[in-house]
Amino acid sequence: MITTSSKLFYGLGAVSIAGSIVWIIARDGGALGAVALVFIAIALLFLGGIASYVRDGHVLSTDTEQHDSAPAAQRGPSHSWFPLGTALALGMVVVGLVTSPGIFKIGVALLLAMLGEWLIQNWSDRASSDPSYNERVRGWVVHPLEIPVGGALLLAVIVLSFSRIFLSLSVNAGPIVFAIAGALVLFFGSVLSIRPGTSKRVIGTICGVALVGLSVVGVVLALDGERHGLTEAAEEDHFAHRACGEEADYSDEDAVRAVSAKSSVAATVTLKDGALYAEMDGYSGPLTSITLQRSLNSNILFHNEDEGEHRMVVTYGKVVESLGGGVERETLLQACTSLVAKGGQQGVVVNVPKPSFSSTEGFSITVPGLEGASIEVMVP
Amino acid sequence: MKKMIDQVGKTMKTARRWRNASKAAIAVSALSFLASCAKDAPQDTWQPAGPNAERIDNLQRPVFYVAGVVGVIVFAAVAWSMYRYRDRGQAIPEQTHGKPAVEIVLTVIPVLILLGVAIPTASTIFKLAETSDTEMTINVTGQQWWWEYDYPASGSNVEQYGITAPIVTSGQLVIPENTKVLLRVTSRDVIHSYWIPKLNGKKDSVPGRVHLLRMEGSKPGIYAGQCTEFCGLSHAYMRMEAVVLSRADYDAWVANQLEEYTAPEAGTDAAAGEALFIQQCSRCHQVNGLKNSDGSLNIAAPEQNLVSGAAPNLTNLMTRNTFAGASWDLLTPECRDNVWNASSADFGERYLAGVSTECLNQKDLREWLRNSPAKKPMYADPTKLASTGGLYRGMPALGLTEDQINIIVAYLLERK
Repeated sequence: MITTSSKLFYGLGAVSIAGSIVWIIARDGGALGAVALVFIAIALLFLGGIASYVRDGHVLSTDTEQHDSAPAAQRGPSHSWFPLGTALALGMVVVGLVTSPGIFKIGVALLLAMLGEWLIQNWSDRASSDPSYNERVRGWVVHPLEIPVGGALLLAVIVLSFSRIFLSLSVNAGPIVFAIAGALVLFFGSVLSIRPGTSKRVIGTICGVALVGLSVVGVVLALDGERHGLTEAAEEDHFAHRACGEEADYSDEDAVRAVSAKSSVAATVTLKDGALYAEMDGYSGPLTSITLQRSLNSNILFHNEDEGEHRMVVTYGKVVESLGGGVERETLLQACTSLVAKGGQQGVVVNVPKPSFSSTEGFSITVPGLEGASIEVMVP
Repeated sequence: MKKMIDQVGKTMKTARRWRNASKAAIAVSALSFLASCAKDAPQDTWQPAGPNAERIDNLQRPVFYVAGVVGVIVFAAVAWSMYRYRDRGQAIPEQTHGKPAVEIVLTVIPVLILLGVAIPTASTIFKLAETSDTEMTINVTGQQWWWEYDYPASGSNVEQYGITAPIVTSGQLVIPENTKVLLRVTSRDVIHSYWIPKLNGKKDSVPGRVHLLRMEGSKPGIYAGQCTEFCGLSHAYMRMEAVVLSRADYDAWVANQLEEYTAPEAGTDAAAGEALFIQQCSRCHQVNGLKNSDGSLNIAAPEQNLVSGAAPNLTNLMTRNTFAGASWDLLTPECRDNVWNASSADFGERYLAGVSTECLNQKDLREWLRNSPAKKPMYADPTKLASTGGLYRGMPALGLTEDQINIIVAYLLERK
């Protein structure tokens, strides 16, 4: 017989076993933590067995006459998943302590939530002798929290699943899948709107199946990893834009589409017919020299209207390091876009800490490989 | 008889109460009225001194009058109703609900009034946002707790105003009269708001964004303003002034700002002050053209010392009338009045004279150099910078001796 306290021990034991499996996978076969967790699981399951055997200590196990009448043998006021949830949360806390802070924090949050729910349920179960009234009392207290938090979590699961799916799909397949998903939502929405008598059970089942399907696909694709282009770009440190030379080994036709960067552009630099010019708010015509504020993040957008792939390079001084023995190394301070094909655009954020008169060469915006494509940058 | 005496007493008490309330109301009204007559109100939105401020004034006056008339009518109606239908022990009249004719009238009238206000408001908003006819552009950057102005050497700034190299200054925005100046307002740290009430409305300065604000002054003079977005400890000390100069005076100001650095004469206090400035002040403050003892250019490194990454450029400090976020005058009160109260014709000459030894406000400047956080609250305690990674918000106390302050002041006095 599974008694109230034994649920906690069984749950903790099960989570410890799960934790040991996670440990083995996460630690690439590492045994020490897994062995510890298995031992903890054995101990907990043993305690659970004892708790079941002695009926939570309320009745002697040998006193079979009282098995049916003793309080511990009576059915509880209502079924509760919260002991199991608490055990799961405790397991996550333990696993999180040895694996990652993220799991630990989620475990602590879940633990607090489960304990809170458990306490409130125990309190509401004693509110009256009417179970339905007790359930309503519980609802009055916890629904204002449960419903919005649950909704937010549900939304988070949907968003996360969608993001994993679209980061995994190819660039071409993404819009198609998105269109199909949208069409399905529209279809079911339309059907339900013209058949308002559809039972809640059917609607709930459809939504539940869709949610489970979405989550499963999201988890599977998250494990599978992001699409090739993204992983390759990350491996090549593409996002740091460190390679400012002329070499053409990667081209980003879509460019950076960060709305925040584009919404407030300090200067738009255009390459056309082999020459560069800049446009800035507050200036009527194209500029061949621009002024940027010192120590301020400035978004500079590069727009390529020329044939071929080009990158924009902002040079704003140099750092001289002494390597000892009178040897010095000069490193240019540069920010650059990746290669941008004709019609494409990309932005860089530049924060210039020194005035331009501190450099004998001055600061500039150039395009490698194109002599004469240059804009003077002045920083006061 | 007793009843009559009680009644008379009660009536007198009520009358006395009414008299006291009336006196208080009259006193408050008189104070409000007198406050509106203040002569020394440098941030008065009712005294516009530029086309955009006049547009705002032309809108706010009729709106204010309409609102005033509506207010008077409403208050009068409420007062009349309270008096006319006060409780005199009469029977409660028959209760009714709703009167369509009255409700329609009371809905239509406000709608018409609001429509009447909305049309000129929308028109004014579009006119204030106009930037296509800009004649000059200036970058305005807010940080805790001062404003920086830099004049880009680009476009019409070069072609029409001779700004051949960027000019950077702080505290006072200097612009030529009757010129459509476009301010590109942004921030280096938190949100601030730029407002010179006599010249235009306010504009938020937001990190990562550039907001445009037209500034135009119709006659030479100084126009005061202050940050209008709470921005931290010394928000109240984040002030600014716009200086409007005639075109000829403005050209002279630009030429002076672009002049090469002149080192102090060797052996003077100012020369000693220069050495001390390099040692103590130039970690954050830039003086263009200043050279180190080895002949290399001295470049300040505010990005290594301050959260905002910038400190006021002091190249031409003594051409300004204020310091420390325009919170204190560099001029003595007499000399300040001489500039502020000058006629339009004389203003430029007096302003361009800058700060002389006789006119320098030694008291406030020395207090500032002695212990700036004591004068203007700032996060500048070196033992409490863990949260900012060792970076200051504001200027720390440098622990200068009186002799060091003397030579620094001597050096700064030459920064014209």
